[in-house]
This record gives sequence, C-alpha cells and structure tokens, in this order.
Amino acid sequence: MSAHYILRKLVQAILTIVAIVALNFVLFRMMPGSPERATKNPHLTPEFIAAERAKWGLDKPLFPDQLVAFAISTAQGDLGYSIKYRGQPVVEVVADAAGPTVLLIGIGEAIAIVVGLWLGARSGWRRGGVMDRIGNSLSLIFYSMPYFVIGMPLIIIFAAGLGWFPTSGMTTPGGDKGPAEALFDLGRHLVLPVTAVALGLIGAYSILMRSSIVETRSEDYITTARAKGLPDALVLRSHAFPNALLPMVTLIAINLGYVVAGAITAEIVFNWPGLGLLTVQALDARDYPLLQAIFLLIAVSVVFANFAADIVYGYLDPRVRA
Amino acid sequence: MSLQPIAGTTDLGVGRWTTTGRRARTFVGRLLGRTDGLVGVVILAFFTVIALFPSVFVGPLEGVLSATGQPLDSPSLAYPFGTDELGRDLLNLTVHGARISMVIGLLATIITVVIGSTVGIVAGYVGGVVDNVLMRITDFFLVLPTIVLALILAPIILDVIGAQAELFGIRSTLLVIVIVIGLTSWATTARVIRSQVLSVKERMFVDRARVIGSGGGQIMRRHILPNVVNLIVAQSVLTFATAVFTETTLAFIGLGDPAAPSWGQILNNAQSAGAPGLGAWWYIVPPAAAVVLVVLAFTLLGNALDDVLNPKMLGRR
Amino acid sequence: MSQPTRTRLVRLAGAIALGASLLLPTAAPAGAADPVVLTVGTTQDLDASNPFNTALVSGYEVFQLTYNLLVEFDKDAHPAPGFADSWERSPDKVTFHIRDGMTFSDGSAATSKDVCFSWGLAMDAIKHDANIGYGYLDPGVKDAGVTKIECPDPSTFVAYTTDQSDRIFQVYVPILPQHVWSKFDYKSIADQKFDPPLVGSGPYTLQEWKTGQYARFVRNPSYWGNKGFADEVVIRFFPDQTDVMVQALKSGEVDYAHDVNPDQFKALGADPTYTAVAGKANGWSQLAFNTYGTGTGKTIKDGGPSTKALLDPAFRDALGYAVDRQALVDRVLGGYGDVGTTMVPPVLSDWHVEPDRPRHFDIELAKQKLDAAGYKLDANGKRLDKEGKPITLRLDHPNTNDSYAKSAQFVKEWYGQLGIDVVVQSLDSDTLSNLILPPPDGKADYDIELWGWSGNPDPNGLTIVFRCDQIDNLSDSQYCNPDYDKLYDQNTQEAGAQRHDTLAKMQNLIYDEAPYDILYYDSNLDVYRNDRFAGWQNMPANGTPFFTYGPLDYTLLTDATAAPSATPPPSADAGASASPVAGSPAAPTTASGASAAPTTAPSGGESTTGSSSNTPLLLGVVVLAVIVIVAGFVWTRRRRAGGVDDDE
Repeated sequence: MSAHYILRKLVQAILTIVAIVALNFVLFRMMPGSPERATKNPHLTPEFIAAERAKWGLDKPLFPDQLVAFAISTAQGDLGYSIKYRGQPVVEVVADAAGPTVLLIGIGEAIAIVVGLWLGARSGWRRGGVMDRIGNSLSLIFYSMPYFVIGMPLIIIFAAGLGWFPTSGMTTPGGDKGPAEALFDLGRHLVLPVTAVALGLIGAYSILMRSSIVETRSEDYITTARAKGLPDALVLRSHAFPNALLPMVTLIAINLGYVVAGAITAEIVFNWPGLGLLTVQALDARDYPLLQAIFLLIAVSVVFANFAADIVYGYLDPRVRA
Repeated sequence: MSLQPIAGTTDLGVGRWTTTGRRARTFVGRLLGRTDGLVGVVILAFFTVIALFPSVFVGPLEGVLSATGQPLDSPSLAYPFGTDELGRDLLNLTVHGARISMVIGLLATIITVVIGSTVGIVAGYVGGVVDNVLMRITDFFLVLPTIVLALILAPIILDVIGAQAELFGIRSTLLVIVIVIGLTSWATTARVIRSQVLSVKERMFVDRARVIGSGGGQIMRRHILPNVVNLIVAQSVLTFATAVFTETTLAFIGLGDPAAPSWGQILNNAQSAGAPGLGAWWYIVPPAAAVVLVVLAFTLLGNALDDVLNPKMLGRR
Repeated sequence: MSQPTRTRLVRLAGAIALGASLLLPTAAPAGAADPVVLTVGTTQDLDASNPFNTALVSGYEVFQLTYNLLVEFDKDAHPAPGFADSWERSPDKVTFHIRDGMTFSDGSAATSKDVCFSWGLAMDAIKHDANIGYGYLDPGVKDAGVTKIECPDPSTFVAYTTDQSDRIFQVYVPILPQHVWSKFDYKSIADQKFDPPLVGSGPYTLQEWKTGQYARFVRNPSYWGNKGFADEVVIRFFPDQTDVMVQALKSGEVDYAHDVNPDQFKALGADPTYTAVAGKANGWSQLAFNTYGTGTGKTIKDGGPSTKALLDPAFRDALGYAVDRQALVDRVLGGYGDVGTTMVPPVLSDWHVEPDRPRHFDIELAKQKLDAAGYKLDANGKRLDKEGKPITLRLDHPNTNDSYAKSAQFVKEWYGQLGIDVVVQSLDSDTLSNLILPPPDGKADYDIELWGWSGNPDPNGLTIVFRCDQIDNLSDSQYCNPDYDKLYDQNTQEAGAQRHDTLAKMQNLIYDEAPYDILYYDSNLDVYRNDRFAGWQNMPANGTPFFTYGPLDYTLLTDATAAPSATPPPSADAGASASPVAGSPAAPTTASGASAAPTTAPSGGESTTGSSSNTPLLLGVVVLAVIVIVAGFVWTRRRRAGGVDDDE
C-alpha cells in the first residue's frame, strides 16, 4: 500500500469532515428562528448570551466571519449549550452518552460480523442447501425487522416475563459495587440490547456476505482451484472467503452510519442511555445545539471508520497494495 | 437500523439487456418462476389491494368518536385484531395504515429515484469534473447517518412548508417524512445507476447519436435512460423497502402524525400506551408483521428483479 | 483474514465461556452491609439540579430532598417545621426561629444567615424587577407580600410583610448553605450547574447525577427529622417511557413508579404486590383560546388569533357545549380524574365552587348557539366567521404527555361536527411557550392551546394566570378583564367566607367568559411495591406519597420485611432471613442475589431478587446454546463437506 494511497484517502476524509462541518453550519442557520434561537436560551443570563453572541460573531456577516467563528469553535470542541439541560455544554452531555453507544454497537457489531459473515459464507458456498434456505430466510426476516420490533418481544419474554435480565438501563444505580460486581451488572444489562442489535445486523451481513461469496465462487481462480482437486472446504477458507471479505470491509464501514442511527430505536426500547436516546430527547425538546453535536459526532466517526476501512481494504487487496 | 438496499451495494456488473416484447414476457415468466419473486409479488399484491381500497374491507378510518370497543380488548369475533387504548378497532387501523405507510413509501421512493437517477445519469454520461463533483457529493450523502440527519431536517422542513400544508391529502408532518427520506437516501441509487451508465455510454449507438449531432440532454433522455430504466425499476423496488422501513422508524421515534396512523405510528402508540408491559401483543403484532412482510416482499422482489435483469448472474444459474 | 472460520468461532465460544466463568465467582463476594436503596421511577427527565433552573416536577423532587424550605409541609400539606422549627406572627412581620444545633450534610452549622442569603437572592431579584433563573421560585416571596428580611442573630429570621396571608409559609425557596454559594448573586447563581455532590440540610442529598439515567442521593447523617429506612434514594428517569418504567417496577428494579398510564394503573392495582394511588392533582388541563385584542382591539401582524370569532364570548360559550368532558375523563384518563368546570380545582375544597350556569355536552345546542351568535354554515358545511371566512382553528399542545394528544383528537372530531376544522400540532414545551407569547416577545400565533397548570396550596397560584398583567408572562389565553383584576386584588386581602365569596365570583366570571375550557382535573397515577418498604403515606390524604409537597414521606418509610419476620424468623421471604444486617432488600438487581445463591440455597429464586440469582444459570444456558449451535453448524458442515471432499 503506497503512501500516496493513504494520503489520498486521508485528504478525502478530511475534506468530508470539512463538508460536514459546513453542512452543520448551514443547518444551524436554517433552524426555525435561527440563528438567534440557539443563543436565546432562556436558561442562560443575558450577559452570558451577549458574550456568546460576540464569540460566534452573530452581529457580523454570515460569510466568512460567522462560518470561520463556527469552524474555529467546532475545532476547539465548543459546540454551544444545551437547551434541555439548562445550559450545560453540549460536549459534556454528548460525551456522557457516547460511551454506552460505543459499547452497545461495538459488541453488537462484533457478534454480528462474526456470525453474519460465517452464516453468509456457509449459505453462499452451498447455495440452495438446507442451511442456505433456513439461514437465508431467517436473515431476510431479521433484515426486514426494525431493531425495536426485535427488541420489544425480547423485553416481554426475557425481562418482564422470565425476569432473567433487567428490562432497561445500563447499570443498577446505588450501593457500593466492587469492580467485578459492577462489570457483572453491566453485562446483565447488555445482553438484551446487544442481542437486538446483533440480530438485526446478522441478517444484513449474512445476506451481503452470501452474495459476495456467490460472486466469488464463480471467479475463474476458484474454478481452477476446485478443478485442481483442492478440498472444497479449503478452497472456501483460503481462497473464496478472504476474497469475498474484501467488499464486506467497505460495506461494514459504510454501514456503520446506519447502525449508529438504527441503534436509536434499540436504545429507546431498552432505555439505553446512549446517543440514540439522547437524540430523541433532544428532538423532543427541540434542543438544536445538542442535536447538532450528536450529528457531528456520528458523522465524523463514520468518516473515520470509512477511512480505516479504506486502509484495511488497501492492505488486503493486492491490486491496491501494489 | 436503517435498511440499505442489498443488491445496490454489490457490484451489478455490466448489463446488456433491452426491453423488447418477447424478452419482457420471458422476464415476467422468469421473475414469477423464482420462489422469492413469486412470494414478493403475492405479498405486495395483497398489500397493494388493501392500500388502494381500505374502506371496502374495513369501512372508513375509525376516529376516537366512532370507536365502539372497550379499551385494550383482546382479539374477539367483533374485533379480530383487538382494540387500542381508545377502543378503536386495530384491524381497521392496520388496514388503513397500509395506505398511509405505502403512500409515504411510494412518494419517498419517487423522490429518491428521481434524484438518484438524475445524478447517476448525468455523472456517468458527462463524466470529468462534473462526475467527480457529483460523486463526491454522493459519497458524502452515503456517509451521513440517514436517521440522525432526518431528525435534524424534520423540524426545519416543517418550518419551511408550514404546519398546514397538504399534498394529495397528506398532512405536512407526513410530507416532512417523505421529503426527509427522499433527501437522505438517493445516494445509493445514484452510484448504482452511474456505473451502469458508464458501460452503456461506451456502446456504439451512443457514438452514432453523438456523430449525428444530438445534444447531451437528448442522448441522455433518448439513449441512456431507456437502457438503464430496468435497473431504475429494480432500484426503486429496493428503495421502497428502505422507505417503508425508515418511515416506520421515524414514526416510532415520534415524527409521525397521530391523526394518520401509519404502521410506525401505531407501534409508537402501542409503546406509549404500555402495550408490551400490559401483554397487549395484539397491539404490536399486526402492524409489526405488516411492516416486516412489506419490507421482506420488496426486498425479495427487488433481489429477484435484480438477478433476472442481470445477465452476469443469469449465466451462473 | 485467511484463518479458517471454524477455529475462530470455537475461539469465540471459548471466550464467552471464559468470560462467564470469570464473572460467576467474582460476583459472589458482595458486601454484607449493602446500603438499602430506594429506587423511584419517573417518566420525566431531570433538566437541572439547580433549583432555580428547573421547570419540572422531577427537579422539585431533587431539590426538596437535598434542601429544606424555611417552612416545610406536614402530611396534610399544612405548614410544618422545616429549616425553622417555630414562628410567631405579628401584624407586620413573621419571626422564625431556626432550629438549634442544626448542621448541613458537610457538618457546618446551619443558621439564619443561610436563610438571609437564600431569601436575599429572591429579594434582590424582586428589587431589580428580575427573576432568578427560570423564575418559578422567587415570585412566591413577592406574592407573600414580603418587604424586608432581617437576621438579628443566628437563630432568628424576620420577614416583614404587607398582609397577613398564609402565603409566606408556602414560599418555595430552598435554603442553600451560604458558605458554599456566597460568591454568587441572584443573577450569577442561575449560571451555576450545582454539580453533585451537593451540601444541604434535607434528608437525602444529591450525590450523583447521570443525565437521562438517574440521580442518586445519600442519607444526610445530620438530618434533623425522621430517619427513613432507605440509606440511599435513586430517582431513575424514564423519559416518555412509561412502559419501560412499569417493566422495571414489575421486575423489582424500581420500588415506586410515578405517572403511569390508566391501563397500567388498573393492571398493577389488581395485583397485591403493588399499591396503586390515584392522587388528585391540584391542577387541570384546559383549552385556552387566544383572545388577544379583547377590549383593546389590538392586532398582531402575522400573528394573533386566526379569526375574530375567538374574541367573542358567545362563540367560546357555544364551543363549550361541543365538548363531552365526561367522555374525556372516561376514555383519555381511564376514569381517573374529574370533569373540569371552574379554575379552582376541587382539591382546594375550601375555595372551589361549581359554576352557576354550567354547560353540558350537546352538539345540537352548540350548533344552535353558533347560528344564533351569527356563525352560519356555508354550502360545504363549513362554519363561517362574521367576516365570511371558513373557521379553521389551530390547536397546539405540548408533546410531554400522551393525554394531551388524545384529548386533541377528541376535540378535533367534536369541533368537526360543528363545521369547524381543527389543525392539531404537537410541539415541545419550549417552542409552545414561545409561540404563545404576544408582542413584544412573540406573536401569539395560535388559536387554541391545549395544556395544563398545577398550583400551590393557595388558589392564587392558579387564579393569577387570568390577570391582565400576566399577558406576555403566564397568560396563555391573552385574556384581560379589569373587573377580574379588581376581584383578584380584593381576594388577596381577604380571608375566610369573605375570600370564598370573592373567589366564587372570580370562578364564575372566568367560566362564563370562557377564555378557558377546563377539560378535566387530572390525577397523578403512582404505583409502589409493598415488599421492601412499608410506612407509605399519601400527602395530602388524597394525594400521592412522592412528587408532592416536601420530602416527608421519604423519611417515614420502614422495612417491609421487618414486621412479619419479627414473629416467625424463618419467614417466607428467604432474602430477608438470609442477611440480618438489613442488607437483604438492598439492590435487588445487583449481584447480591447471586451471592446468596451459592450460600443460601434455592429459596432466593422466589423472592423479587430472583432475577439476579437466575443469571449465572442463564449465562450458562446461553453459553451452552452457543456451543450447541456452533457445534451443530460445524457438524452439518462436516457432513455436507464430507459428501464431496474430506474436511481439510
């Protein structure tokens, strides 16, 4: 993988982030009653607001002064003050919620990638087999289910009904828990939401992996390998699977944005204190500064994930590496 | 989660098909000959009929005053799907929900496909700087998290069009959902169409058209568009699945219109009425099953269309 | 990337099993003296821990647990000792005696200087004609007629008043410790975040706040009043998630659920594990008509009511016959509420009167009245205003409560039967509050606002809303009537039967003029578990234990398991007998249950803590299931592969 390749991808990523910040700026100005509204926070004193207005340059022309001021404060991590939470800096509010989401999606993604890719590879390699039919049907059904549709029955059965898992939240507040106890508590709270997220994702990944394997299977080198008399399973493992994985890397990275956004409904159903729940609460309170910060954070993470995927892709794909 | 059109994310390769009468017949035959295509068509036909004539099956949409049932009654002969917390017949609501959900899906799909196809065709045909710029924009939209962007755009759009706007009898809150879905999900279509256009462009008849002096717009309309129209159809079907899915999610989150119960809105009502905890499964299962069936049907049909219309895949069958 | 799939999966399964086996033993050694935690659920999110910046019931609950008021409330919501343990009234002043030897939770002395500081903030704000923060607390000092405050010695606080009303005993200004907040004045205090841990003199002080999740309070060791059974209080927030909260109540994760919906209330009330309390709210939900311009003829450019009909009392009176308030109570509130009439709720039984000329539900009569008042139907069946324009009313309601959205649907359909279209819009509270404001702050661009108010023990808290000087402040009907203002002023100077007569006149005046259509007097539907805490009392008798006036009930709770287990030690509840240190009811969902499992045998499973003791078992099942599935797949694969080639 050449330095040139990495550099090009990096520049692209940076340009995208610049575009996102610009879009954020435009949205900020388009919001009802803007740009005044975000600074007309009833929970801040007039003196404070005057200082803010000066900082954001709201009395100066929109372009370039305000845009520059906006970009500078964004770069400094200053994204304004929450309306809902009575003037707390949004960065702090968002930072609190980011951890739980990363945890939920991270584990969900990991499980879904492993299970989904494996299931898809199995299904695609033996197209039309029993396993393919069952696996593919299940995948399609889960793929068609919004997270909250998966989550509701999980709660009804395993939390409210059988009482095996807590119904909601991330931790049991109160008491003095040791680290092990706290970890266990967290683990119990994680099971159901992670299951909901993973099930939804497994469907998508398995379907995509299946078509990727089907595609790969018809490639000449696979036919050659099989014609050479190599064991079928070996061909799948060492030839077809790695090659079929290539497009998946990009897809999983692109998908990340959808996953984060989609986790919103899972978080609602499980009252999981992450970005999704925060987004909905910010929306209910029309807390635009908070919404913007969440949007910025998610969009930038997705850009980074894509960048990382490009690098991995470049590393894996000999054509790019060369 | 937000659904991404499955087939749209794989490389569709080079298509070399046109729609002549005979081929169209074999195409329908091939489509219905496949299990997934057949299942998809049957489910969709069912829901389309329901969406077109809801009142024929269950009478007019039940309001809070015309409701006759007891609150949260379990399914019975009088109310096969049970009732909601205001005593409304859930069969009535679910059937009428078909129309609302599918009309929103349809309109959102039209916006998505029109934007996506236009961008794809122009980028693919014109190429060069235009292509580069359009594709960067497309990549940008591919990266943006749809639902979060939709949540931010919704109040802005509502403010722009006003609370009292109406189109085809759809209230502005629902129009907002249509526009939001359309604006945020065209990028996949654009990418897919563009790659198809690139290959079509290289073909001889385009060169011929260029030689006899047709303008760019005319070539795109007369020669490129007919050659990608099948792909657009396949994409539309997949987009429809995404649109219904996204509408359900947005309505569940609370962007819907309580007076126009789409499936997502019914599920939102169920959640706030506490249906899961009260064991009122009948409040959740019908709308949820309807969503899953429709999304599933569109996905199956879209994939089948895609396979049937794609000769590279055909060779392998 | 070229690693065989199966190996990876096996490794994964191994990792899960390893993780589980690590978790199981380490979870066991839980502290024997776990604190007793009382968990309270509410559907409201906490907006601020700064008392001056909260507009929500949850915020009031947080600060009244942490801080004392100068005068608290007893279980009948009458004045009771708080920061001051006694007081004397003289014609022009009230002398409060601050409790001797009282300290804050950090051990520093609590004296009258803390009162002078806290009330002083309010006095300064009043002097500058300003408000502190959100402006909900300090106006009480003004309404009580306080003109001057003094602190002659550490145990005496004197407040001079203009009148002899009791409202000074209802002032909701928390007594902040001066040594913590002395740097700040009435303006800058509003910018403070009040980050926990907080120092206060209340029974439980705020220790930790996770936004959107929970607020945790620890017992104030130096609290002067009763010691409640709970060592810690956790208020968990379930914003717009009634169902999730009820599930948590059922699983024992929360002990008390505030604000459930009527169907849940009925279902839970039928189960002896729970006590369901429908507390009468001191408030109502209403349709507020935008009457801007009544009397003045003023109009607003691009704003104000969309038709002059709204300014016509005859029009509003006719609309009143089109609303079936009993149906709203039955179907929206599930029967838990009372039909709305006048603006003083029936809970304030000393002051409430029923209207002299009541309206009843009669659509035909409503139509006749509209016709008679000059609002005719056109050829399309639409009702026209006197300018000949079809009447379309915009109804806006907040998205905070489901009952508003439902009521709006009913009103839309009833008005529809009169030929009046209604466009319903659901808005967040902030946007709606801003929408209502008339010039100079806003455009009052609405026709009907469906929202509600809740008041103080004194009716002035609610009747003030209709004063002329509340336009561009509290007024959401823009109603102004100098006759009403005169009656209001008169009522503040009166007491007893005299005041009752004046208040009766006021109530009838507003009812007849109908700037408001009061739909119903709400109820607070709360449910609590009986298995861990006892000693619950409603405050007042027709109210609820929590989310009411003051934190008294938190301090009255006792151990529910103590009484029965005293006589037969091996009680049915295994959890209680297992650990005598009062640790048993603690933290039902922490691993304490798991720790009980190996030692105290299987009985733990049937108590409410059973959920946790099942978990190791469940994890085992999950691990087993994963292994079986993986093995199954591997097996199928081997078999299938075997048909063609050897496995490797």
